[in-house]
Amino acid sequence: MTKCSNPLALIAEITHRCPLHCVYCSNPLELTSRKEELATADWLRVFREAAALGVLHLHLTGGEPLARPDLVEMIAGARQSRLYTNLITSGIGLSRERLAQLVEAGLDHIQLSFQDSTEGHANWIAGARAHAHKLELAAWIREHQTHDHRLAFTVNLVVHRQNIDHLEEMVTALEALHPDRMEIAHAQYYGWALQNRSALLPTRAQLDRAVAVVAAAEERLRGKVRIDMVVPDYHARFPKACMGGWGRQLLLIDPAGRALPCHAAGVIPGMRFDNVREHTLDWIWQNSEAFQKFRGEDWMPEPCRSCDRRKEDFGGCRCQAFLLTGDAGATDPVCELAPLHHLIEEAVREDAVTGLTPEIHEAPFHILREKMGGFWSYRTDPK
Amino acid sequence: MAELTDASVPKFAAGCRWGGTTDAPVVLFPEGAIRLGGTGRIILELCDGHFSLAEIVQRLEEQFILAPKGNIRAEVQVFLEQLHAKRIIDY
Repeated sequence: MTKCSNPLALIAEITHRCPLHCVYCSNPLELTSRKEELATADWLRVFREAAALGVLHLHLTGGEPLARPDLVEMIAGARQSRLYTNLITSGIGLSRERLAQLVEAGLDHIQLSFQDSTEGHANWIAGARAHAHKLELAAWIREHQTHDHRLAFTVNLVVHRQNIDHLEEMVTALEALHPDRMEIAHAQYYGWALQNRSALLPTRAQLDRAVAVVAAAEERLRGKVRIDMVVPDYHARFPKACMGGWGRQLLLIDPAGRALPCHAAGVIPGMRFDNVREHTLDWIWQNSEAFQKFRGEDWMPEPCRSCDRRKEDFGGCRCQAFLLTGDAGATDPVCELAPLHHLIEEAVREDAVTGLTPEIHEAPFHILREKMGGFWSYRTDPK
Repeated sequence: MAELTDASVPKFAAGCRWGGTTDAPVVLFPEGAIRLGGTGRIILELCDGHFSLAEIVQRLEEQFILAPKGNIRAEVQVFLEQLHAKRIIDY
């Protein structure tokens, strides 16, 4: 058994239900239904156990966490357990009153997603009329910041081929909302995003322009807005340090209570995920077979095993390795040293260069949706 | 970036706070935590919105009599400016 340090963050996917249907969603294609969801008391116990295990941050996500009517209670419970609480949300389902209740319960940080700079296009990507409400919500968040100096505010922008050329406009539009932080995250190709990859993967030239836009924004906004960029790993030379290493810093609990080392780990065949309904978090972290599987370096094939970078990127992403090569134990094909790196080179060539781009970019939502419905698959909602 | 002057009153940005335990306190912010011991902890404990930079420096000078005077001011300034760029400290 590989010795492990304590986890630092818990990602709680409290529901898979979501009013948005974003085409870049990395949720699994098989979503957990409402009737399988953990009860409030189970979550509160998980939060207590997480804090006792040394976890500092709780990231409440989904689906849309606001779909849970007990969210205020969960945040109060998490704060009671001394966790730092982060709500990752589309904002849909958050009224001014409910936001005040969440802040009162102790919410520390809200991360609000945006899909594009203009309403029609943003809604087309989200598959829902959501953009206008997000703008309204941002103003209410700002009120909590200026009036009672509470609540850190991050705006999150998932970037891909269909919006990357509007990045400068998006940064300007979001800057006007006065966030503390801007997360510019390139789509990660899991779940629905992988299904839609041929429409989402940017070209190298698009990426280079986007990197320059972000660098200029960082310079201009220094001390005002912190910008964090998640680079698209398909265009990188080396893989990302996925989850900070398997079973090393983070754990994720899915809506049904299954403990996963990574949100996409469910795709790997033959994995057994223990459930918080049956085990304590401490037991799971130490003993669960799923967390042992790729923890440490014993599982690594060459070239990872003898590579100096293995302590930085931990061999990359196991789920991506499986999704692209069929073997979860292979070197992440993103790595230029990986034997199967050609899979990425081919994807970038085929998807990005000759892939589709719709001709209309700005039109009312119903027209976009009607004309371009077959262009990609919108994420569905669980039964 | 806002200028840090003697009259500035540094304090935690909204949504940043102390956490951890009394023995091992950490500063918590949206995507991370900093474990602070020694001088860093003493400085941030003074960033509660009640003291100006000049007052913080004065207190530290009283506490660390042996340190050369100008150095404390310069070091506190660099430390707070770094945390300001990370959006952890406002002034």
